[in-house]
Amino acid sequence: MMLADFHVHSNFSDGKMTIPDVIDMYGKRGFGAIAITDHVGESRTVIGKAAGHLGLCLTQATFPLYLEILKSEAERAWDMYRMVVIPGVELSKNSISNHRSAHILALGINEFISADGDVADLARDIREAGCVSIAAHPVDSGKLEKQTYHLWNRREELAQAFDAWEVASGDRLFPEVLNSSLPKIASSDLHIARQMTSWKTVLECERHPEAVLDAIKKQEVGFRFYRDTHHDTSNSIINSDFRSLVELGHYRPASGDLGQSVAQ
Amino acid sequence: MKPLKGCDEGLEENLKTFLNLDYPSYEILFSVASFEDPAYPVAKKLIENNPKLGARLIVDPVNLGPNPKVNNMVRAYELASNDLVLISDSNVRVKRDYLKRMARYMRNKKVGMVTAVISGAHEKGLGGKLEAIFLNTFYARWMKLLFFVGRPCVVGKSMLFRKTTAQRFGGINVLARYLAEDYMAGEAVRRLGLHVVLAEEPITQCIGRLGLKEFWQRHIRWGRIRKSQAYLAFLVEPILGSVFSSIVGAIFCYLLFRTNPLNLFFLQMVIWFLLETPNLIKSGSGVSVSVFGLWILRELLALPLWINIALGNTVQWRGKELQLEVGGLLANEKSKSENSSDGVSIPVFH
Repeated sequence: MMLADFHVHSNFSDGKMTIPDVIDMYGKRGFGAIAITDHVGESRTVIGKAAGHLGLCLTQATFPLYLEILKSEAERAWDMYRMVVIPGVELSKNSISNHRSAHILALGINEFISADGDVADLARDIREAGCVSIAAHPVDSGKLEKQTYHLWNRREELAQAFDAWEVASGDRLFPEVLNSSLPKIASSDLHIARQMTSWKTVLECERHPEAVLDAIKKQEVGFRFYRDTHHDTSNSIINSDFRSLVELGHYRPASGDLGQSVAQ
Repeated sequence: MKPLKGCDEGLEENLKTFLNLDYPSYEILFSVASFEDPAYPVAKKLIENNPKLGARLIVDPVNLGPNPKVNNMVRAYELASNDLVLISDSNVRVKRDYLKRMARYMRNKKVGMVTAVISGAHEKGLGGKLEAIFLNTFYARWMKLLFFVGRPCVVGKSMLFRKTTAQRFGGINVLARYLAEDYMAGEAVRRLGLHVVLAEEPITQCIGRLGLKEFWQRHIRWGRIRKSQAYLAFLVEPILGSVFSSIVGAIFCYLLFRTNPLNLFFLQMVIWFLLETPNLIKSGSGVSVSVFGLWILRELLALPLWINIALGNTVQWRGKELQLEVGGLLANEKSKSENSSDGVSIPVFH
């Protein structure tokens, strides 16, 4: 069994850590797989353009450097930690309205994917490129930040368009997603080191990018709340697997005591 | 590594300054895109006259992207036998201790790249003189400011780095898609979490003869590339320039204190010039009435130049009009950014 996190940002968008630092942080904690997923903004909207100029998202210009650094760092991660690093992006459609905003993760990318167009088309493009598509934080994330409800509003229409929907992001569990029949995944949406304490996905598969992505597609996944104690990995994993969460049904945990509550 | 193209004024003299650098062991790799290039016989003659140097001339261009300089030096880069690589343009002259000074910064393992401020010299014609003033004031000021705020701007006239570091972002091959390969190399190093250092002492760019029209066109092109790479910095350029701030200051003082706006405008311009004097002295331009006159002219041209740059996104490049996109990519380059290929050529090493 291995711990995995499929939603991590670096300084190529709005993350504060460099890719090498992110890899060392996860590698030293014994993770088996991570995906680095920096934002790609829309090229035609004011918000998207501003984010590009401010260096808060990947552009077609910075993407080749991003991919090259990910490739070389993935090799280092494997050599040093036996950790799989999957190149990804978070296609970010941001509008003033939360109901028109949507973020979509694309895992296993090899080329630039534009964030322009309808979300259904983007999800199709991601799959056509041989990548895994994930609906990121589709409901209220509980954070003081932009909310992205568009995918959830269209969940019936888009149910088959995504390989997984985030059932937890950071330290927040999403009961709406948990109680749905949608395929699921949990991740940290990490931007800074202290966000390491968050929900993670657990997998039981070969440590290989294709095997990891396949496990997501086949939903051979479980979820755990990971409390980071910085160095002692063995004590930092606090419970529980996906089935026990399902049994909790409408359980809505308070932020900060998730691991303990779920264990109980 | 000395990528060469054309025979700039003083090329031989420029190259000679690299032949006897005070450094324990180094190799020189000249590269040109074709045997017909006027730089070819110059470099060839230098090698023949200095056989002990073991310098090599590589004529083996590739076609990895729209940047001719990168295409020209890819093969030389592959042949470079040391980890520490210095790329230096053909129009710079250096002192004997240049390499030693630059390499000293690399002892710190957190340093990923070293660049230097360029000072303009050996200028001829009005355009050339304006170019020298531009480099020795505006440009030096901005280079230092960008380094100060942690957004370094690397210049290809002088960039020192490790091949092992470049390997981590795909080597120099990946830079061929950008017109400003130097800026992007610095960006890649910065994103890796390594420091980009600005060497204290400037190196000399041999400007040669330049007309006013050439100066203008050159800065339109350079400014538009700069705008596409760092849009926000470009937007605030006039605010941080002497003319705009002096006009604003004169208007405000007139409204508040009824002072003579023209007098106050000139007073502020003189203060600006005095603030530029450390850069002027360090670069070798010195301070004189003629330098002050040229500085005023350059500053007055800066605003119309900026407006002209702001109004377009095209640049003239090797006789073609090219459309620039955000990040310094060419419009037609976007679609084939992942499909670049090598050109067919026969390698010739001397």
